[in-house]
Amino acid sequence: MNTDLSGATMTPEFEDCTDVLRSLYAFHDNELSAAEADEIRQHLMACEPCLDHFQVEDAMRLLIRRCCAEEKAPEGLRMRMRATYSRTVIGFDSTE
Amino acid sequence: MNLPTLPDQADLATPETDAERSSRFETEALAYLDQLYGAALRMTRNPTDAEDLVQETFAKAYASFHQFTPGTNLKAWLYRILTNTFINSYRKKQRQPQSSGSEVEDWQLARAEAHTSTGLRSAETEALDRMPHSAVTEAMNALAPDFRLAVYLADVEGFSYKEIAEIMGTPIGTVMSRLNRGRNQLRLSLADFAREHGLVGGDDDA
Repeated sequence: MNTDLSGATMTPEFEDCTDVLRSLYAFHDNELSAAEADEIRQHLMACEPCLDHFQVEDAMRLLIRRCCAEEKAPEGLRMRMRATYSRTVIGFDSTE
Repeated sequence: MNLPTLPDQADLATPETDAERSSRFETEALAYLDQLYGAALRMTRNPTDAEDLVQETFAKAYASFHQFTPGTNLKAWLYRILTNTFINSYRKKQRQPQSSGSEVEDWQLARAEAHTSTGLRSAETEALDRMPHSAVTEAMNALAPDFRLAVYLADVEGFSYKEIAEIMGTPIGTVMSRLNRGRNQLRLSLADFAREHGLVGGDDDA
């Protein structure tokens, strides 16, 4: 990682496919600068093997999210949590 | 930092009563019950511990809810409590059955390190729709705890690297390396699963 503080953006960060593939996760995560992301996008449009990697990664993310995000808390836990933290709403029964 | 700081309720004029705070906790924090449970399940890998972990997390969050700044990231705050609680009380007593579930072989790790491709092609990704959920959760469970959590927070919850660093209490560089290794490993196992179960064809170049 050589950050050149002289600020020139002439040298492309991504020389070849290896560089692009190494940054693919970060690109997908929206963690690259706008300029870097543009470079990757341009490369992907011109390079089919890299685009293919990108699409596989996209499908993997969908799969992982779909499978993990479907876990629902058990009803018993939900009711216990509601009962514990909604004292104010229930209002106390003044039988005492 | 560009978290929005909303000019929230007139909190200076009237200090919040306990009742008000409770009801705010109920509406705002309990909304994350399913998500926190899902994360707890991936962390502990069993439903009973996951329930306990979630209950303890909410108890701690409730106790310090007055310290939470409205308008900042409540979800990340809750995840941080969840993570700390897990690390402090659960991970210690959980015997990591790392050896029994030797899903992850050394050669697989080496392959993951090398950042080789999964070998899948985009044309084959339809097969992933037919993957059973259990294949994904088992592949997740086979990851080392720190990798698993980082991958979960990024891939499932969509937290940024910075947020994950704050939740896990580690530098961003560590987050990136855990993500990189955990993701490579996870994707390789998923691709292997798809191949072994005939979800994708052989490597004929049609």
